[in-house]
Amino acid sequence: MEDSTLKSPEEMTFGEALAELEGIVGSLEGGQLELETSLERYERGVALLRSLQTKLSEAQQKVTTLIGELEVDDTE
Amino acid sequence: MAQERALTVKEAMSAAKSALESVHVRVIGEVSEFNDKPGYKAAYFSIGDGQATMPCMMWRDQYQASGVQLRCGVLVELSGVFSAYVPKGRMQFMVRSLQLAGEGVLRMQVAEVARRLEAEGLMRSDRKRVLPRFPQRLAVVTSPRGKAIHDVIRTLRRRYPLAELLVAGVQVEGVGAPEALVHGLRVAAEAKPDVILLVRGGGSYEDLMPFNAEQVARAVSRSPIPVVTGIGHEPDTSIADMVSDLRASTPTAAAEAVSPSIDEMHSEVESLGRHLGKALSHRLEGAQHDVRRLAERPAFSDPRVIIGSLSQRLDLVSIALNGALPGRLERDEQRLQFARESMQRTGSHLLDRPREKFAVSAARLHDLSPLAILGRGYAVCFASDGRTVIKQAAELSAGDRVHVRVAHGHIGAVVEETGE
Repeated sequence: MEDSTLKSPEEMTFGEALAELEGIVGSLEGGQLELETSLERYERGVALLRSLQTKLSEAQQKVTTLIGELEVDDTE
Repeated sequence: MAQERALTVKEAMSAAKSALESVHVRVIGEVSEFNDKPGYKAAYFSIGDGQATMPCMMWRDQYQASGVQLRCGVLVELSGVFSAYVPKGRMQFMVRSLQLAGEGVLRMQVAEVARRLEAEGLMRSDRKRVLPRFPQRLAVVTSPRGKAIHDVIRTLRRRYPLAELLVAGVQVEGVGAPEALVHGLRVAAEAKPDVILLVRGGGSYEDLMPFNAEQVARAVSRSPIPVVTGIGHEPDTSIADMVSDLRASTPTAAAEAVSPSIDEMHSEVESLGRHLGKALSHRLEGAQHDVRRLAERPAFSDPRVIIGSLSQRLDLVSIALNGALPGRLERDEQRLQFARESMQRTGSHLLDRPREKFAVSAARLHDLSPLAILGRGYAVCFASDGRTVIKQAAELSAGDRVHVRVAHGHIGAVVEETGE
C-alpha cells in the first residue's frame, strides 16, 4: 500500500472507507507488520476513521426526483 | 282428476326435495356466515348479493378437494343443486363445485403467470443478487404521492441519511400502471443507483394487480440494478416480489432492508476506532518488549562487557607476550649475569675443596689398596687360573700349580702338601 495509490478518504464512499479501515485493523491485529508499516497503517486508519465519523455526523439525505412530481411533507 | 289424499308432512317435504334436486344452477355470491367446525361432515355457509341469501352446504371431502379457503366476504362461484333437509324443513343449496370468482379469477390468472415465470427460472434463489452494504444512491419507483414514498423517505432519513435518494414517481394502479412501472424501472436503472426500491402501499388485490403484470415482472427480473420490493402489506405477495432480488413486506421494510442503521454504523465505526487504537498499542508494546528484551541482554546493559572482555583478552595476551618476550629475555639475562658473576666469584675457589678431598681420598685409597697390604709383606695365593684367590687349603691338592702375588712380582709354585 503506497501512499501514492491511496485515495483521499474524502473521495471514498462510506463503504470503501469502512472496508479499508476494517482491513487495516485486521492487518494491525495480525501483528505481522513492520513497526513502520504499522504506524503508517494506523495513521491511514485514523484518517479514514475521522472521515467516516464526519460522513456519519454530517449526513443529510439528498432527494432527487427523476420523474413525477413528488408530494411529500418534508417538514417532518 | 281424482281428489288425492292429503300427504304427510314428511311426504310433502320429500316431494319438495325431489323437485328441488332437479334444479342444477351455477351461482355467484359473497360468502357470509361461514361455519366449518372440524367435527362436521360438511361445511355450512351462506352466499348473498345484498338482495337475497342462500344457505349452502358442501360435503367436507369435496370442500377440501376444491382447494379454496372460504371466508366471509369472498366472492365465489358455486355449482350444484337445491335440496331440502326434510327433518327441519329447510331448503339448502348442495354445492358440488366451488371456485373463487372475481378476485378469485384474477388470482388464477396471476397463478398462471407465476407458474410460467417460475418455469423459466426467474424466481430461482441463485438469481437473487447480493445487495451492497452501504449503498450510495437509492432509487425508488412508486407513486409520487401517498404513504409509500413518505414511509421510504422517513425511514431512510432516520436510518441512513448517507445515501442519495432518487425518486421515479409513476402511476401504480389502474389501466396503464404496468407500463408506467416498467418505464419507472428503466428510468431508475439509467440513473445507475446501487439499488432500486419498487414499493407501493396497501390496497385491494385488484389495486395491487399491476405488480402481478407479466411485463412488470420481466422488467424487474432483467433490471441491471438489484431490485427490492415492498408491495402492500405483510400477507400480500405479488409476482414482482417473487422475481425481485429481495422481497420486503412493506415499503418501510424495503427501505430498512437497503439501509444500515446509522446508529449501528456509528457504533461500528467507533468499535473499529477502538480496535485500531488497541491494535497499534499492542503492536507498539510488542516492539517495546522486543527492544527491552534486547536491551536487557548484557551486551547492551553494560557495553564494557563487549569491550571489557576484548580488552581483557588483550591485556592477557599482552601480559603473556610481555612475559614471553622482553621480560623473559631480561630475566634470562639477569640469570645469565648472575651466573656469570657467581662463576667468576666462585671459579677461583672451585677446586680448593675437591683438591683437599682428593688428597684424603687418595691416602685412604692407598690404605685400602691390596698393594699396600702386600707392601707390608703379605702375599696372595691364586689358583692355577690366576684369578681365584685361595682362601682354604682344602681348595688345593698336592701337585696343583698356584700363583703367588707378592708386593713386587709373582711366583709360580707347585703344592707339595696341604693341611688344616
